[in-house]
Amino acid sequence: MASSEGRRVVVTGQGAVTSIGVSAPAMWASMREGRCGVGPLSGMSMDDLYIHIAGQIRDFDPRERCGHSKPLMLAERYSQFAGSAAIEAMSQAGYNGPVPNGHRAASIIGSGIGGLGTIEKGYEDLFILKKKATHPLTLLRSIASSAAAHVSIEYGIKGPCFGTVSACSTAAHAIGLAYQMIKSGMIDMGVAGGSEASITYGSMRSWQAMRVLSPDGCYPFAKRRNGTVLSEGAGILVLEEFEHARERGAPILAELKGFGMTSDAADMVNPSIEGPTEAMRIALEDARLAPSDIDYINAHGTATTVNDVNETRAIKAVFGPHAYKLSVSSTKSMHGHCLGAGGGVEAVASIMAIRDGFAPPTIGLDEPGDECDLDYVPNEGRARHIAYAMSNSFAFGGLNAVLVFGPAPV
Amino acid sequence: MDEVADKIVAILKKNMKNPPDTVPMETKLADLEIESLDLAVIVFDIEDTFGIQIPYNANEEVQDFATVGSVVDRVKQIIAEKNAAGAAA
Repeated sequence: MASSEGRRVVVTGQGAVTSIGVSAPAMWASMREGRCGVGPLSGMSMDDLYIHIAGQIRDFDPRERCGHSKPLMLAERYSQFAGSAAIEAMSQAGYNGPVPNGHRAASIIGSGIGGLGTIEKGYEDLFILKKKATHPLTLLRSIASSAAAHVSIEYGIKGPCFGTVSACSTAAHAIGLAYQMIKSGMIDMGVAGGSEASITYGSMRSWQAMRVLSPDGCYPFAKRRNGTVLSEGAGILVLEEFEHARERGAPILAELKGFGMTSDAADMVNPSIEGPTEAMRIALEDARLAPSDIDYINAHGTATTVNDVNETRAIKAVFGPHAYKLSVSSTKSMHGHCLGAGGGVEAVASIMAIRDGFAPPTIGLDEPGDECDLDYVPNEGRARHIAYAMSNSFAFGGLNAVLVFGPAPV
Repeated sequence: MDEVADKIVAILKKNMKNPPDTVPMETKLADLEIESLDLAVIVFDIEDTFGIQIPYNANEEVQDFATVGSVVDRVKQIIAEKNAAGAAA
Protein backbone atom coordinates (compact mmCIF):
# COMPACT_ATOMS: atom_id res chain seq x y z
CA MET A 1 0.00 0.00 0.00
CA ALA A 2 1.22 3.48 -0.89
CA SER A 3 2.17 5.77 1.96
CA SER A 4 -0.86 7.65 3.17
CA GLU A 5 1.18 10.56 4.50
CA GLY A 6 0.02 13.86 3.02
CA ARG A 7 -2.24 12.37 0.38
CA ARG A 8 -4.63 14.99 -1.00
CA VAL A 9 -7.87 14.31 -2.78
CA VAL A 10 -8.93 16.27 -5.83
CA VAL A 11 -11.99 16.30 -8.05
CA THR A 12 -11.18 15.57 -11.69
CA GLY A 13 -14.67 15.08 -13.06
CA GLN A 14 -18.28 15.79 -12.24
CA GLY A 15 -21.60 14.79 -13.68
CA ALA A 16 -25.22 15.59 -12.93
CA VAL A 17 -28.72 14.69 -14.01
CA THR A 18 -31.39 17.02 -12.64
CA SER A 19 -34.74 18.58 -13.41
CA ILE A 20 -32.85 21.78 -14.35
CA GLY A 21 -30.33 20.15 -16.67
CA VAL A 22 -29.13 16.66 -17.53
CA SER A 23 -25.42 17.50 -17.35
CA ALA A 24 -23.31 19.40 -14.82
CA PRO A 25 -22.83 22.47 -17.09
CA ALA A 26 -26.53 22.53 -18.03
CA MET A 27 -27.54 22.31 -14.37
CA TRP A 28 -25.11 25.04 -13.38
CA ALA A 29 -26.32 27.33 -16.18
CA SER A 30 -29.86 26.92 -14.80
CA MET A 31 -28.65 27.64 -11.26
CA ARG A 32 -26.90 30.80 -12.43
CA GLU A 33 -30.16 31.93 -13.99
CA GLY A 34 -32.25 30.84 -10.99
CA ARG A 35 -34.40 28.50 -13.07
CA CYS A 36 -36.86 26.19 -11.31
CA GLY A 37 -37.32 22.55 -12.36
CA VAL A 38 -40.40 21.88 -10.24
CA GLY A 39 -43.55 21.38 -12.29
CA PRO A 40 -46.84 19.52 -12.53
CA LEU A 41 -46.55 15.85 -11.61
CA SER A 42 -47.12 13.53 -14.55
CA GLY A 43 -46.74 9.96 -15.72
CA MET A 44 -48.74 8.29 -12.97
CA SER A 45 -52.23 7.82 -11.62
CA MET A 46 -53.39 10.88 -9.69
CA ASP A 47 -55.95 8.90 -7.65
CA ASP A 48 -56.03 10.18 -4.07
CA LEU A 49 -52.96 12.34 -4.62
CA TYR A 50 -53.32 15.87 -3.34
CA ILE A 51 -49.67 16.77 -3.94
CA HIS A 52 -49.48 17.54 -7.65
CA ILE A 53 -45.93 18.86 -8.12
CA ALA A 54 -42.43 17.37 -8.34
CA GLY A 55 -39.03 17.93 -9.91
CA GLN A 56 -39.32 15.26 -12.57
CA ILE A 57 -36.71 14.93 -15.30
CA ARG A 58 -38.45 15.13 -18.65
CA ASP A 59 -35.60 15.49 -21.13
CA PHE A 60 -33.47 12.48 -20.16
CA ASP A 61 -32.89 10.19 -23.13
CA PRO A 62 -31.05 7.04 -21.98
CA ARG A 63 -30.03 6.20 -25.53
CA GLU A 64 -28.39 9.57 -25.97
CA ARG A 65 -26.77 9.58 -22.51
CA CYS A 66 -25.60 5.95 -22.22
CA GLY A 67 -26.70 4.25 -25.43
CA HIS A 68 -23.30 2.70 -26.14
CA SER A 69 -23.71 0.48 -23.07
CA LYS A 70 -26.09 -2.44 -23.45
CA PRO A 71 -26.19 -3.16 -19.69
CA LEU A 72 -27.11 0.44 -18.95
CA MET A 73 -29.77 0.46 -21.66
CA LEU A 74 -31.43 -2.45 -19.84
CA ALA A 75 -30.97 -0.89 -16.41
CA GLU A 76 -33.45 0.80 -14.07
CA ARG A 77 -33.98 4.57 -14.43
CA TYR A 78 -32.00 5.24 -11.25
CA SER A 79 -29.00 3.32 -12.63
CA GLN A 80 -29.30 5.13 -15.95
CA PHE A 81 -29.16 8.48 -14.16
CA ALA A 82 -26.04 7.26 -12.31
CA GLY A 83 -24.55 5.88 -15.55
CA SER A 84 -25.12 9.14 -17.37
CA ALA A 85 -23.60 11.26 -14.57
CA ALA A 86 -20.66 8.84 -14.18
CA ILE A 87 -19.93 8.81 -17.91
CA GLU A 88 -20.02 12.61 -17.96
CA ALA A 89 -17.68 12.81 -14.95
CA MET A 90 -15.29 10.12 -16.20
CA SER A 91 -15.06 11.70 -19.69
CA GLN A 92 -14.18 15.02 -18.12
CA ALA A 93 -11.53 13.28 -15.98
CA GLY A 94 -10.05 11.75 -19.14
CA TYR A 95 -11.21 8.18 -18.56
CA ASN A 96 -12.86 6.93 -21.72
CA GLY A 97 -12.53 3.19 -21.12
CA PRO A 98 -11.35 0.78 -18.42
CA VAL A 99 -9.21 2.48 -15.78
CA PRO A 100 -5.53 1.44 -15.92
CA ASN A 101 -5.29 0.01 -12.41
CA GLY A 102 -8.75 -1.31 -11.63
CA HIS A 103 -7.96 -2.76 -8.22
CA ARG A 104 -6.98 0.68 -6.94
CA ALA A 105 -10.24 2.26 -8.04
CA ALA A 106 -13.64 2.42 -6.33
CA SER A 107 -17.24 2.84 -7.41
CA ILE A 108 -19.36 4.04 -4.49
CA ILE A 109 -22.76 5.18 -5.68
CA GLY A 110 -25.64 5.19 -3.27
CA SER A 111 -29.37 5.65 -3.47
CA GLY A 112 -31.99 6.32 -0.85
CA ILE A 113 -34.03 3.40 -2.10
CA GLY A 114 -32.70 2.04 -5.41
CA GLY A 115 -34.97 0.83 -8.19
CA LEU A 116 -38.30 1.70 -6.62
CA GLY A 117 -40.15 2.01 -9.94
CA THR A 118 -39.10 -1.52 -10.81
CA ILE A 119 -40.26 -2.85 -7.44
CA GLU A 120 -43.65 -1.18 -7.83
CA LYS A 121 -44.07 -2.50 -11.35
CA GLY A 122 -43.20 -6.00 -10.15
CA TYR A 123 -45.79 -5.83 -7.38
CA GLU A 124 -48.42 -4.48 -9.75
CA ASP A 125 -47.72 -7.37 -12.14
CA LEU A 126 -47.94 -9.95 -9.34
CA PHE A 127 -50.65 -8.69 -7.03
CA ILE A 128 -52.95 -6.71 -9.33
CA LEU A 129 -52.44 -8.00 -12.85
CA LYS A 130 -51.86 -11.56 -11.55
CA LYS A 131 -49.17 -12.15 -14.17
CA LYS A 132 -47.40 -15.50 -14.19
CA ALA A 133 -43.97 -13.92 -13.79
CA THR A 134 -42.26 -10.64 -13.07
CA HIS A 135 -39.88 -9.21 -15.65
CA PRO A 136 -36.67 -11.27 -15.43
CA LEU A 137 -34.60 -8.18 -14.64
CA THR A 138 -36.83 -7.10 -11.72
CA LEU A 139 -34.33 -8.16 -9.10
CA LEU A 140 -31.21 -6.75 -10.76
CA ARG A 141 -32.93 -3.48 -11.55
CA SER A 142 -34.27 -3.12 -8.00
CA ILE A 143 -31.21 -3.60 -5.86
CA ALA A 144 -29.72 -0.38 -4.58
CA SER A 145 -26.16 -1.47 -5.38
CA SER A 146 -26.85 -1.88 -9.09
CA ALA A 147 -25.80 1.66 -10.04
CA ALA A 148 -22.40 1.16 -8.39
CA ALA A 149 -22.06 -2.22 -10.10
CA HIS A 150 -22.99 -0.81 -13.52
CA VAL A 151 -20.35 1.91 -13.24
CA SER A 152 -17.71 -0.58 -12.11
CA ILE A 153 -18.49 -2.79 -15.13
CA GLU A 154 -18.44 0.22 -17.46
CA TYR A 155 -14.94 1.26 -16.33
CA GLY A 156 -13.27 -1.94 -15.11
CA ILE A 157 -13.30 -0.66 -11.52
CA LYS A 158 -12.23 -3.70 -9.50
CA GLY A 159 -11.66 -2.30 -6.00
CA PRO A 160 -14.31 -1.27 -3.46
CA CYS A 161 -17.75 -1.23 -5.06
CA PHE A 162 -20.99 -0.73 -3.15
CA GLY A 163 -23.85 1.65 -2.51
CA THR A 164 -24.36 3.78 0.57
CA VAL A 165 -27.81 4.18 2.13
CA SER A 166 -28.56 7.14 4.40
CA ALA A 167 -31.67 8.79 2.96
CA CYS A 168 -30.86 12.40 2.04
CA SER A 169 -27.20 12.09 3.08
CA THR A 170 -26.54 9.07 0.85
CA ALA A 171 -24.45 10.81 -1.82
CA ALA A 172 -22.42 12.83 0.67
CA HIS A 173 -21.60 9.66 2.58
CA ALA A 174 -20.53 7.95 -0.67
CA ILE A 175 -18.27 10.86 -1.62
CA GLY A 176 -16.87 11.06 1.91
CA LEU A 177 -16.03 7.37 2.03
CA ALA A 178 -14.26 7.45 -1.36
CA TYR A 179 -12.32 10.49 -0.14
CA GLN A 180 -11.21 8.68 3.00
CA MET A 181 -10.18 5.60 1.02
CA ILE A 182 -8.02 7.73 -1.28
CA LYS A 183 -6.56 9.64 1.65
CA SER A 184 -5.73 6.43 3.50
CA GLY A 185 -3.85 5.01 0.51
CA MET A 186 -6.32 2.18 -0.14
CA ILE A 187 -7.19 3.42 -3.63
CA ASP A 188 -6.00 6.10 -6.08
CA MET A 189 -9.30 7.11 -7.62
CA GLY A 190 -13.00 6.65 -7.09
CA VAL A 191 -16.30 7.41 -8.75
CA ALA A 192 -18.70 8.48 -6.01
CA GLY A 193 -22.10 10.04 -5.51
CA GLY A 194 -25.76 9.23 -5.48
CA SER A 195 -28.71 8.60 -7.73
CA GLU A 196 -32.45 8.57 -7.18
CA ALA A 197 -35.51 7.92 -9.34
CA SER A 198 -38.21 7.44 -6.75
CA ILE A 199 -41.01 9.69 -7.95
CA THR A 200 -43.48 6.84 -8.24
CA TYR A 201 -47.13 6.62 -7.30
CA GLY A 202 -46.36 4.57 -4.18
CA SER A 203 -43.59 6.90 -3.13
CA MET A 204 -45.76 10.00 -3.62
CA ARG A 205 -48.46 8.36 -1.50
CA SER A 206 -45.94 7.48 1.25
CA TRP A 207 -44.51 10.99 1.38
CA GLN A 208 -47.99 12.47 1.25
CA ALA A 209 -48.99 10.31 4.20
CA MET A 210 -46.08 11.75 6.20
CA ARG A 211 -47.53 15.22 5.59
CA VAL A 212 -44.22 16.89 4.86
CA LEU A 213 -44.62 17.76 1.16
CA SER A 214 -45.57 21.20 -0.06
CA PRO A 215 -48.54 21.46 -2.39
CA ASP A 216 -47.16 24.64 -4.01
CA GLY A 217 -43.37 24.75 -4.17
CA CYS A 218 -39.98 24.39 -2.49
CA TYR A 219 -39.27 27.70 -0.71
CA PRO A 220 -36.30 27.15 1.64
CA PHE A 221 -35.85 29.67 4.46
CA ALA A 222 -38.97 31.59 3.36
CA LYS A 223 -41.81 32.54 5.64
CA ARG A 224 -44.25 30.83 3.26
CA ARG A 225 -42.33 27.54 3.19
CA ASN A 226 -44.64 24.63 3.84
CA GLY A 227 -42.73 21.49 3.02
CA THR A 228 -40.31 20.02 0.58
CA VAL A 229 -40.78 18.97 -3.05
CA LEU A 230 -39.62 15.58 -4.27
CA SER A 231 -37.33 15.40 -7.25
CA GLU A 232 -35.05 12.93 -8.93
CA GLY A 233 -31.57 12.87 -10.41
CA ALA A 234 -27.92 11.97 -9.92
CA GLY A 235 -24.76 13.76 -8.87
CA ILE A 236 -21.41 12.05 -9.22
CA LEU A 237 -17.76 13.07 -8.78
CA VAL A 238 -14.51 11.51 -9.90
CA LEU A 239 -12.14 11.79 -6.95
CA GLU A 240 -8.46 11.18 -7.33
CA GLU A 241 -5.27 11.38 -5.35
CA PHE A 242 -3.61 14.69 -6.28
CA GLU A 243 -0.27 13.33 -7.62
CA HIS A 244 -2.08 10.58 -9.49
CA ALA A 245 -4.25 13.17 -11.20
CA ARG A 246 -1.33 15.47 -11.93
CA GLU A 247 0.76 12.68 -13.49
CA ARG A 248 -2.13 11.84 -15.80
CA GLY A 249 -2.48 15.48 -16.75
CA ALA A 250 -6.12 15.37 -15.64
CA PRO A 251 -8.10 18.58 -15.19
CA ILE A 252 -8.24 19.43 -11.49
CA LEU A 253 -11.54 21.10 -10.71
CA ALA A 254 -11.27 21.40 -6.94
CA GLU A 255 -9.87 19.78 -3.83
CA LEU A 256 -12.05 17.81 -1.45
CA LYS A 257 -10.63 19.14 1.80
CA GLY A 258 -12.75 17.66 4.55
CA PHE A 259 -15.55 15.33 5.51
CA GLY A 260 -17.55 15.10 8.71
CA MET A 261 -20.30 12.67 9.63
CA THR A 262 -22.40 12.29 12.75
CA SER A 263 -25.68 10.81 13.85
CA ASP A 264 -28.18 12.65 16.07
CA ALA A 265 -29.17 9.39 17.77
CA ALA A 266 -32.34 11.18 18.83
CA ASP A 267 -35.38 11.23 16.57
CA MET A 268 -36.40 9.92 13.14
CA VAL A 269 -37.67 13.28 11.88
CA ASN A 270 -36.81 16.12 14.25
CA PRO A 271 -33.16 17.10 13.81
CA SER A 272 -30.94 17.95 16.77
CA ILE A 273 -28.63 20.94 16.94
CA GLU A 274 -25.73 18.83 18.11
CA GLY A 275 -25.61 16.38 15.18
CA PRO A 276 -25.41 18.90 12.31
CA THR A 277 -23.17 21.23 14.35
CA GLU A 278 -20.65 18.51 15.12
CA ALA A 279 -20.69 17.24 11.51
CA MET A 280 -19.76 20.74 10.29
CA ARG A 281 -17.09 21.12 12.97
CA ILE A 282 -15.55 17.74 12.17
CA ALA A 283 -15.49 18.54 8.44
CA LEU A 284 -13.73 21.87 9.13
CA GLU A 285 -11.24 20.19 11.42
CA ASP A 286 -10.56 17.48 8.84
CA ALA A 287 -10.02 20.22 6.24
CA ARG A 288 -7.71 22.06 8.67
CA LEU A 289 -9.70 25.21 8.07
CA ALA A 290 -11.10 27.83 10.42
CA PRO A 291 -14.81 28.66 10.20
CA SER A 292 -13.83 32.08 8.80
CA ASP A 293 -12.18 30.38 5.78
CA ILE A 294 -15.57 29.26 4.45
CA ASP A 295 -17.31 31.64 2.03
CA TYR A 296 -20.25 29.64 0.78
CA ILE A 297 -22.51 26.94 2.22
CA ASN A 298 -24.76 24.87 0.03
CA ALA A 299 -27.35 24.26 2.73
CA HIS A 300 -29.43 21.17 3.20
CA GLY A 301 -32.35 23.65 3.12
CA THR A 302 -35.31 21.36 2.55
CA ALA A 303 -38.01 24.02 3.08
CA THR A 304 -39.59 22.15 5.96
CA THR A 305 -40.38 24.41 8.90
CA VAL A 306 -38.14 22.42 11.21
CA ASN A 307 -35.02 21.89 9.08
CA ASP A 308 -34.44 25.43 7.94
CA VAL A 309 -34.51 26.96 11.41
CA ASN A 310 -32.45 24.14 12.89
CA GLU A 311 -29.82 24.37 10.13
CA THR A 312 -29.64 28.15 10.56
CA ARG A 313 -29.09 27.73 14.31
CA ALA A 314 -26.44 25.04 13.71
CA ILE A 315 -24.58 27.26 11.21
CA LYS A 316 -24.56 30.07 13.78
CA ALA A 317 -23.27 27.68 16.45
CA VAL A 318 -20.34 26.66 14.24
CA PHE A 319 -19.52 29.95 12.54
CA GLY A 320 -20.36 32.52 15.23
CA PRO A 321 -20.33 36.11 13.86
CA HIS A 322 -18.84 34.83 10.56
CA ALA A 323 -22.23 33.17 9.87
CA TYR A 324 -23.49 36.58 8.72
CA LYS A 325 -20.62 36.95 6.24
CA LEU A 326 -21.35 33.60 4.57
CA SER A 327 -23.46 33.14 1.49
CA VAL A 328 -25.79 30.28 2.34
CA SER A 329 -28.12 29.00 -0.35
CA SER A 330 -30.40 26.06 -0.89
CA THR A 331 -30.27 24.99 -4.53
CA LYS A 332 -33.18 22.66 -3.68
CA SER A 333 -35.30 25.75 -4.38
CA MET A 334 -34.44 25.08 -8.04
CA HIS A 335 -33.88 21.33 -8.46
CA GLY A 336 -36.13 20.15 -5.62
CA HIS A 337 -35.16 17.51 -3.11
CA CYS A 338 -33.22 14.81 -4.99
CA LEU A 339 -33.14 12.66 -1.82
CA GLY A 340 -30.22 10.19 -2.03
CA ALA A 341 -28.76 12.10 -4.99
CA GLY A 342 -29.01 15.48 -3.23
CA GLY A 343 -25.52 15.55 -1.73
CA GLY A 344 -24.00 14.69 -5.12
CA VAL A 345 -25.92 17.30 -7.06
CA GLU A 346 -25.13 19.88 -4.38
CA ALA A 347 -21.43 18.90 -4.33
CA VAL A 348 -21.34 19.72 -8.05
CA ALA A 349 -23.02 23.06 -7.33
CA SER A 350 -20.46 23.81 -4.59
CA ILE A 351 -17.52 23.04 -6.90
CA MET A 352 -19.00 25.20 -9.67
CA ALA A 353 -19.53 27.99 -7.13
CA ILE A 354 -15.80 27.94 -6.31
CA ARG A 355 -14.80 27.73 -9.98
CA ASP A 356 -16.92 30.68 -11.10
CA GLY A 357 -16.80 32.73 -7.89
CA PHE A 358 -20.57 32.74 -7.93
CA ALA A 359 -23.04 31.92 -5.18
CA PRO A 360 -26.17 30.30 -6.65
CA PRO A 361 -29.46 31.67 -5.33
CA THR A 362 -32.24 30.42 -3.11
CA ILE A 363 -35.17 31.21 -5.37
CA GLY A 364 -38.71 31.86 -4.16
CA LEU A 365 -37.38 33.66 -1.08
CA ASP A 366 -39.68 36.66 -1.03
CA GLU A 367 -39.81 37.07 2.74
CA PRO A 368 -37.50 35.23 5.15
CA GLY A 369 -39.02 32.99 7.82
CA ASP A 370 -38.78 33.59 11.54
CA GLU A 371 -35.21 33.04 12.78
CA CYS A 372 -33.99 32.74 9.18
CA ASP A 373 -31.68 35.77 9.19
CA LEU A 374 -28.57 34.70 7.24
CA ASP A 375 -27.67 35.75 3.71
CA TYR A 376 -29.48 33.04 1.74
CA VAL A 377 -28.65 34.69 -1.62
CA PRO A 378 -32.35 35.40 -2.22
CA ASN A 379 -33.74 34.98 -5.73
CA GLU A 380 -30.67 36.03 -7.71
CA GLY A 381 -27.24 34.45 -7.71
CA ARG A 382 -24.31 36.69 -6.96
CA ALA A 383 -20.66 36.94 -7.95
CA ARG A 384 -18.36 36.75 -4.94
CA HIS A 385 -14.97 35.29 -4.18
CA ILE A 386 -15.42 31.71 -2.96
CA ALA A 387 -12.25 29.98 -1.82
CA TYR A 388 -13.87 27.28 0.27
CA ALA A 389 -17.38 25.89 0.13
CA MET A 390 -19.26 23.58 2.45
CA SER A 391 -22.05 21.24 1.38
CA ASN A 392 -24.50 20.08 4.07
CA SER A 393 -26.62 16.94 4.00
CA PHE A 394 -28.87 16.17 6.98
CA ALA A 395 -31.11 13.15 6.56
CA PHE A 396 -34.16 11.65 8.23
CA GLY A 397 -33.01 9.51 11.11
CA GLY A 398 -30.58 12.27 12.09
CA LEU A 399 -27.85 11.16 9.68
CA ASN A 400 -25.49 14.05 8.92
CA ALA A 401 -22.73 14.30 6.32
CA VAL A 402 -20.77 17.44 5.48
CA LEU A 403 -18.22 17.97 2.70
CA VAL A 404 -15.75 20.86 2.38
CA PHE A 405 -14.33 21.77 -1.03
CA GLY A 406 -11.50 24.15 -1.87
CA PRO A 407 -9.63 25.40 -4.94
CA ALA A 408 -7.40 23.13 -7.01
CA PRO A 409 -3.98 22.81 -5.33
CA VAL A 410 -1.10 24.47 -7.16
CA MET B 1 -68.82 11.96 25.36
CA ASP B 2 -70.04 10.68 22.04
CA GLU B 3 -68.82 7.92 19.75
CA VAL B 4 -66.61 10.13 17.56
CA ALA B 5 -64.95 11.67 20.60
CA ASP B 6 -64.49 8.26 22.25
CA LYS B 7 -62.80 6.85 19.16
CA ILE B 8 -60.54 9.87 18.75
CA VAL B 9 -59.48 9.77 22.39
CA ALA B 10 -58.75 6.06 22.02
CA ILE B 11 -56.57 6.80 18.98
CA LEU B 12 -54.72 9.55 20.84
CA LYS B 13 -54.10 7.30 23.82
CA LYS B 14 -52.86 4.49 21.58
CA ASN B 15 -50.22 6.85 20.21
CA MET B 16 -49.08 8.24 23.55
CA LYS B 17 -46.19 6.95 25.57
CA ASN B 18 -47.87 7.41 28.95
CA PRO B 19 -51.59 7.84 28.29
CA PRO B 20 -53.58 9.38 31.17
CA ASP B 21 -56.86 7.77 32.29
CA THR B 22 -58.98 10.60 30.98
CA VAL B 23 -58.35 13.12 28.22
CA PRO B 24 -60.62 16.16 28.58
CA MET B 25 -61.76 17.87 25.36
CA GLU B 26 -59.97 21.10 26.21
CA THR B 27 -56.57 19.36 26.47
CA LYS B 28 -54.01 20.92 24.14
CA LEU B 29 -52.34 18.40 21.81
CA ALA B 30 -49.02 20.09 22.64
CA ASP B 31 -49.53 19.05 26.28
CA LEU B 32 -49.92 15.39 25.31
CA GLU B 33 -46.28 15.13 24.13
CA ILE B 34 -47.51 14.51 20.61
CA GLU B 35 -44.92 15.48 18.01
CA SER B 36 -45.20 16.01 14.27
CA LEU B 37 -44.64 12.39 13.29
CA ASP B 38 -47.07 11.19 16.00
CA LEU B 39 -49.63 13.59 14.62
CA ALA B 40 -49.22 12.21 11.08
CA VAL B 41 -49.85 8.72 12.50
CA ILE B 42 -52.83 9.93 14.53
CA VAL B 43 -54.35 11.71 11.53
CA PHE B 44 -53.88 8.52 9.50
CA ASP B 45 -55.59 6.45 12.21
CA ILE B 46 -58.51 8.87 12.35
CA GLU B 47 -58.85 8.88 8.54
CA ASP B 48 -58.75 5.09 8.52
CA THR B 49 -61.27 4.75 11.36
CA PHE B 50 -63.85 7.14 9.92
CA GLY B 51 -63.16 6.63 6.20
CA ILE B 52 -62.44 10.33 5.66
CA GLN B 53 -59.63 12.59 4.43
CA ILE B 54 -58.25 15.31 6.69
CA PRO B 55 -56.17 18.08 5.11
CA TYR B 56 -53.06 18.37 7.28
CA ASN B 57 -49.51 19.55 6.62
CA ALA B 58 -46.90 19.01 9.36
CA ASN B 59 -45.25 22.27 8.26
CA GLU B 60 -48.25 24.39 9.13
CA GLU B 61 -49.78 25.20 12.48
CA VAL B 62 -53.42 24.35 12.08
CA GLN B 63 -56.05 25.61 14.49
CA ASP B 64 -58.03 22.39 13.99
CA PHE B 65 -55.27 20.53 15.80
CA ALA B 66 -54.95 22.83 18.81
CA THR B 67 -57.01 20.81 21.30
CA VAL B 68 -58.60 17.37 21.48
CA GLY B 69 -62.00 19.04 21.20
CA SER B 70 -61.03 20.95 18.04
CA VAL B 71 -59.91 17.69 16.40
CA VAL B 72 -63.24 16.08 17.33
CA ASP B 73 -65.19 19.07 15.95
CA ARG B 74 -63.21 19.04 12.69
CA VAL B 75 -63.69 15.29 12.22
CA LYS B 76 -67.43 15.59 12.86
CA GLN B 77 -67.58 18.41 10.32
CA ILE B 78 -65.74 16.34 7.68
CA ILE B 79 -68.02 13.34 8.35
CA ALA B 80 -71.08 15.57 7.97
CA GLU B 81 -69.72 17.05 4.71
CA LYS B 82 -69.00 13.58 3.41
CA ASN B 83 -72.51 12.34 4.29
CA ALA B 84 -74.08 15.41 2.70
CA ALA B 85 -72.06 14.85 -0.49
CA GLY B 86 -73.09 11.18 -0.45
CA ALA B 87 -76.75 12.11 -0.02
CA ALA B 88 -76.56 14.61 -2.87
CA ALA B 89 -75.01 12.01 -5.17
